[in-house]
Amino acid sequence: MLLSISVIAAVLLFIGLSVNKAYQYAKMPLHGRMELYPVPSEKGRHKYGGSYMEEPEWWSKPRQVSKASELVDMMKEMLFIKKLFDNQKSLWWISYAFHLGIYFLMAWIILLIAGALTDLAGAAVSDHASLWTAFLYYLTVFTGITGWAITTAGAALLLIRRVFDAVLKKYTTPLEYFNLLLLLAALTSGIAVWGTDLTFDHARQVTAGIMTLSAAADTALVIHLILLDVTLVYIPLSKMSHYVGKYFSFHKVLWENEPNISGSQIEKKLKNAPVNQVSAAWSAPHMQVPPAAGTES
Amino acid sequence: MNHMDLKPGDLGKPAEQLVNLHDLMPLSFPYNKMGMEPDFPEVKPEWRKKYCTSLDGCVAIDTLTRPQNEREETEFIRKFLNGLEKIFSAANSGVLQPLQLSFEYCAKCNTCSDACHVFKASGENEIYRPIFRSEVLRKIYYQHFTAGGKIKKKFIGADIDINWETIARLGELSYRCNLCRRCAQTCPLGLDNSLFAKEIRKIFSQEMGIAPTALHEKGTMRQLKTGSSTGIGKAAFLDMVEFLEEDIEDRIGRKVMIPIDKQGADILLIHNAGEFVAWPENPAAFAILFEEAGVDWTLSSETMGYDSVNYGIWYDDAQAKKVAWQQMQAARELGVRRIVIGECGHAHKASGVVADRYTYGEDKIPVESWLPIMLELIKTKRLRFDPGKNDFPVTLHDPCNMVRQMGIVKPQREILQAIAPGFREMTPHGVDNYCCGGGSGFAIMSSPNFGQFRDKVSARMKFDQILRAFSDTIIDDTIPKYVCAPCSNCKGSIREILSYYQATEKFNVRYGGLAELMVNALVSIDKPYLEFL
Repeated sequence: MLLSISVIAAVLLFIGLSVNKAYQYAKMPLHGRMELYPVPSEKGRHKYGGSYMEEPEWWSKPRQVSKASELVDMMKEMLFIKKLFDNQKSLWWISYAFHLGIYFLMAWIILLIAGALTDLAGAAVSDHASLWTAFLYYLTVFTGITGWAITTAGAALLLIRRVFDAVLKKYTTPLEYFNLLLLLAALTSGIAVWGTDLTFDHARQVTAGIMTLSAAADTALVIHLILLDVTLVYIPLSKMSHYVGKYFSFHKVLWENEPNISGSQIEKKLKNAPVNQVSAAWSAPHMQVPPAAGTES
Repeated sequence: MNHMDLKPGDLGKPAEQLVNLHDLMPLSFPYNKMGMEPDFPEVKPEWRKKYCTSLDGCVAIDTLTRPQNEREETEFIRKFLNGLEKIFSAANSGVLQPLQLSFEYCAKCNTCSDACHVFKASGENEIYRPIFRSEVLRKIYYQHFTAGGKIKKKFIGADIDINWETIARLGELSYRCNLCRRCAQTCPLGLDNSLFAKEIRKIFSQEMGIAPTALHEKGTMRQLKTGSSTGIGKAAFLDMVEFLEEDIEDRIGRKVMIPIDKQGADILLIHNAGEFVAWPENPAAFAILFEEAGVDWTLSSETMGYDSVNYGIWYDDAQAKKVAWQQMQAARELGVRRIVIGECGHAHKASGVVADRYTYGEDKIPVESWLPIMLELIKTKRLRFDPGKNDFPVTLHDPCNMVRQMGIVKPQREILQAIAPGFREMTPHGVDNYCCGGGSGFAIMSSPNFGQFRDKVSARMKFDQILRAFSDTIIDDTIPKYVCAPCSNCKGSIREILSYYQATEKFNVRYGGLAELMVNALVSIDKPYLEFL
């Protein structure tokens, strides 16, 4: 029961700590504009990097915004890590294998939960019982094998590259090696536990056990689940939480080019919290001169 | 020390000079031969004694002088650490979120290095790698602000000695980045290494009172006092405008009135005042074009109303805000409908983007670039051109502030297509362009030897792009080749490299703005406007 609770708690903590991370960034003060083109929401101009500022008297014309285009670029980043593909292909293969593998593993876990629920409902998941059970069966096998294989290979290659690439090695701290080693430990222990049954029936039973707080485990499984718990809790506390940071760095910094015009949302925000209040806390002599009227809101 | 062996933790190591700049990126034809460029001059012993030359032998911060005693040394370090703490506090609210993101999430994938023209042009010298500077700052931060013993600090990467040399070299290193943000464009996590360069400059200026004279004392301070970083006061400005009117008459054979302080005009045009001093043909060209098209415009002679520059955006947020506010005030007093920025890239960004959130409501007057307006005047046939008058090769430099950081990409190209049949793009161009090498103040920083760093390293990639753009005609010195740079700082930088590499003298490579090129092609003017024709 303790083991089951620990897994459920780790998942909840992963979600809670990630949300908290996002909240910490979201509540930071409105910053000055730092957009960088191309900005995908610029309808009709995105392809060549243009903006509304190419229009004479741009403030008097309705803004041409395409949320669809922003969504497409966001998906390209989320699903394919396009920036890395465009700018450093040799690393992209490795990094993409790892990240794609994580998506597969997430799908695998969802399928395991669906399978466990199906099992608990009395319709055993197998390759022949019904369309639904066959669907669960084959998809679980596919996502599980692919996910574990490419995530682990990707993590191992990321580590190897970091150790043998003279430049990356110089910039990698012991903590960053630890991050990769922790992931690898969780992944290889997973392969050791689940790799013996590639139908993943055993994994489904363990999932059902966790869901009913009755998971029974041997030593290998206990080690794997504890490593998984630690990794899940640790990720949002570490720089591996870049899945949170990336949202803000793109949507709230690089792609955020909302002008401050009369009646705009930005104007409303500024009225509540002026941006770039350069505090008198700074100590240089010229900072001690009282600013001219109006320069400090 | 071999730069290949250098690690961020080595920045404080004792050495007269950490790296030498011997293996620069080779230049394209015809500069791919020995003896086509001058060598770096020796670093004078008195500079070594006075300044921080121990990074690469160059001095950007001429107000950063060596301490006379241990007390000064300790005080210097203390002030830096105070400032470092402040950039992550409410005292730096205008940049807190982007800074924290870039500080926390760098995956050290090194994708940014290939995007950096300084790193590439230096022959991939380790100290100019975009993540080198950032990693030094992280190490200092963790070293000083994280609790724990040696083992923990080593584990988290806080393995750096914090001494005078570390901080001073880091200060110098913050002026080896043009803040062009090309690296940020390639980062898979959307992070921005140039932010660290800017923040280090800010700590030096806002906390330690140390900034290059050209940017601070003779830059923003002078501008706030006299109205212009050139030091031109109102009376001198009015004289210059009068001279400009006479000059126009000499050049084109007809009188053009330049409106000054016209209350309630549609457009207040603000130039980089350096244009009046160094390239008067540029503001003159604007006057000719606007008069011909019948635009309702004016210049301002009010203090802070005739110089669009704002060096504050490169090193000091407080100075940036003071300058921007007073510029806006000058426009408000004139009662104009809109502010139009002339050919100055950083002024475009300072007024149009950085200052966009400084104020709101009635305090605000809309700001726009001159480029869309000029294109509209062409499209509506208020300006008529004979492109045959510009029958020579022309290439376009994209100012980073205007293009990558504002998305003004097409208007200048459409204008060039209408006036210059020999127009060809640089590679790469548009939002992927390379900085001119003069960005973030480099164009105006020369003493004591920083000009050589700019000409040989930071502007090297641009010079190479220019050579490649003109590869078909470069060797024929009877054909003038025109680098069109619609930005005063870029123009300044390009002027310096063409002179440094003797490209005008040897290969007839010329430079100038876009407005001059437009006037040169005007149907209504008989004589060539460009002096080299």
